[in-house]
Amino acid sequence: MSRTTSDHSDRDERADEARAWGWVAHLRDGGTTPWAAWSSAAGADEQFGRYLPGAQQLELLRRLNRLRLPSPELAERVLGTSAPGRGRPDLGLVGVLPESGFGPPPVDPADLPDDELVRVATALIAEDVVAAGDPLEPRTPRLWRRRYRILGDPEVANPVRDALVADGRPPGRRRATVVVAGSDLGSMLVHLWTARSLGAGVRPWPDWLRAELSRPSLPDRIDLAARADAWVPRVGAGRVHVVIDDPRRATRLVTRRRIPMPRALSADAIELARRTAPVVGTLVTPERRTALMWHRLRPVLAAHPGPPLRVPERYDPWLRDRTADLRRRLAAGDYAVHGTLLEPAHRVGAQAPDEERVLALAMRVLLGPPIGTSLAEREAT
Amino acid sequence: MTKKVYLHVGTPKTGTSYLQHVLYHNRRTLHRHGFHYPADRFDAHFLAALDLMRMPWGGLEAEAIGAWDKLAGSVRRASGVSIVSHEILATASRVQVGRALESLGHDRDTEIHLVLSVRDLVRQIPAEWQENIKHRAALSYRAFLDRIQDPRREGRIPTWFWGVQEIPDILDRWGRDLPPEHVHVVTVPPAGGSPDLLWKRFVEAFGLDGIDLQLDGERVNPSLGAAETTLIRRINRAANEELDPAFYRPLVRELVAHETLSRRTGTPRLALPPDVHPWASELERSWIAEIRARGYDVIGDLDDLRGAPPAPDYADPDHPDEALVAGAAVDALKAVLLDHVRLQRELGQVQSELHDTQRLLERAYLRPTYRWREKFVRRLESGETGRLMMKAYRRARGRSSRSA
Repeated sequence: MSRTTSDHSDRDERADEARAWGWVAHLRDGGTTPWAAWSSAAGADEQFGRYLPGAQQLELLRRLNRLRLPSPELAERVLGTSAPGRGRPDLGLVGVLPESGFGPPPVDPADLPDDELVRVATALIAEDVVAAGDPLEPRTPRLWRRRYRILGDPEVANPVRDALVADGRPPGRRRATVVVAGSDLGSMLVHLWTARSLGAGVRPWPDWLRAELSRPSLPDRIDLAARADAWVPRVGAGRVHVVIDDPRRATRLVTRRRIPMPRALSADAIELARRTAPVVGTLVTPERRTALMWHRLRPVLAAHPGPPLRVPERYDPWLRDRTADLRRRLAAGDYAVHGTLLEPAHRVGAQAPDEERVLALAMRVLLGPPIGTSLAEREAT
Repeated sequence: MTKKVYLHVGTPKTGTSYLQHVLYHNRRTLHRHGFHYPADRFDAHFLAALDLMRMPWGGLEAEAIGAWDKLAGSVRRASGVSIVSHEILATASRVQVGRALESLGHDRDTEIHLVLSVRDLVRQIPAEWQENIKHRAALSYRAFLDRIQDPRREGRIPTWFWGVQEIPDILDRWGRDLPPEHVHVVTVPPAGGSPDLLWKRFVEAFGLDGIDLQLDGERVNPSLGAAETTLIRRINRAANEELDPAFYRPLVRELVAHETLSRRTGTPRLALPPDVHPWASELERSWIAEIRARGYDVIGDLDDLRGAPPAPDYADPDHPDEALVAGAAVDALKAVLLDHVRLQRELGQVQSELHDTQRLLERAYLRPTYRWREKFVRRLESGETGRLMMKAYRRARGRSSRSA
């Protein structure tokens, strides 16, 4: 391949490439030396492959090596996986080839933003999520079952509905008891973004939040009064219950079973899920993607603690206004309201995910037990 | 016999949609002449490209799962010559290129020929900005130009632009393992030439000479003028936060941009600003030299890659003639109003049908005893004696309604 500039001689070029292959071999062996500090050339037997892996892949492997030695299989997968979707292509190593004037400029891998390494990691995590296999098929619907619908806050409604469906108790039928679960608006916004991150996809938290709060009305799903009002004419006010901040009570209204609520995800875990879900969506259908994200990846992410996500304080006036409005509308309804919608209070947690922590989490997921192992096995590990 | 695959990987805005339209609609004719264009739907190769690159695309990726392996399997099973074509393949990474070539049979029994259709940057740059705007982007033309001229090439816009437009890099990624005589560079003729010329070049590149293909469909993607593109950009800025992506495509991209504003052909066209011309011309010059040095098979003329000189009356879309933008806005509003009226009529029709259906449904839900009574009453009323009995019954019941 001809190049436009030729201040490097062919011999220099070969020497630089041999140095790069030497670094690849070093990383394959679990090495952690940065590219800038690497000087040894590879032996002839170590220069295999049609082309050098990209800088993103090499740097991710180096960071993994620094954390814990990955299996040889994982190391090969890292080196052979391009970052999915749109974004920077696989980049060359600075100093290996002379500046060609074509293609993206080569980089020092240590200078790459964490976001680029997360992109590569999501491709690998997505493969692992799919490899973990689908959750069990729900059992055939039981003939005699309680008629219910559960709506509202996805952190309550989704796990309860999923557990009941799996047990052969799908929602619906005429004259069902309708439970609208909720919590304070700030928490429900976080829960809604979490659900969308695990599902069809959503914009980054700051962009999404700004857009949602600029709309004239609350997002449909967490507008508890609107949900309840919509069901009154269909089932009667006596069968509609709004339950606030009490998942156990919400559950008891639809089943006698005890359904454990899932552990909350950290801000960084939700962000990693948000980045991974679209890649899973290129491998399986949307229905399978959502099931795999909720039942395979979510438990893995939940096992890694971290600061929870919260709505920044600057949105408190908005939260107060909407809380007051929602309270007023709930009070005007004929249905039962259990609990009180709280005002925004001082909250702990992160105002937004942090790329460095997201990358650290992604690496821990890659190095951890296979996705799909039980929580007990995972914690034992 | 060695099988042959023509793998057409780009670039966008070089007549690729028309080529794919012709290949898809003539696949039976092609098959009779030993050419295989494996597609069960028009966008089959687009889906395969999405699958190969694991690229989300507004939900379409769900239809793309396994599409590359299906396409490659079909190519491997076919004898003779196969054609694969989609322009977003231009942006594939080396790893993805390696997988694609291997799955198509490279290094085994298949001769891979790479085809890249190319056009000068002077036309490609404004076309790419316009395409971004028609995909909801809201950045100004100058911001777009600044981003693609930034040598760091960070961010979505420059990454995509150079991924699909930097000809030597695309050829390097895709053609690295192929002999130069198997790499065919098809140049798009300068504006104003014969509309058939590009098609003749494609025919030569793919070896389709002597096949009587039905050539219909639009040869050129509808393009917008400077003021019209500005209008779409302003709509994006105003509506992006609230307009659901699912509605953007039919309403803004199709109805407003393609079906309405692209018909305003008398307004100044979008062009490269004169101050960016020297930079683009220098790139074109270096690309031409590089392609010539690599010894590829060039179909057309590499000098076609030299863009036309700057137009004397450049229309800046960032500082447009507001009267033209207002005129475009009136046309757009009229189109949306008329479409709204059409939808209102359809809604009225659907509501009427729904009402009828509800009535029928209510009847179907009636209990058997009710239907038996209704039938009994109808039978009674069909005879003189029965009618008298019903009359007496209603009088005794206290009302004279004839309803059952």
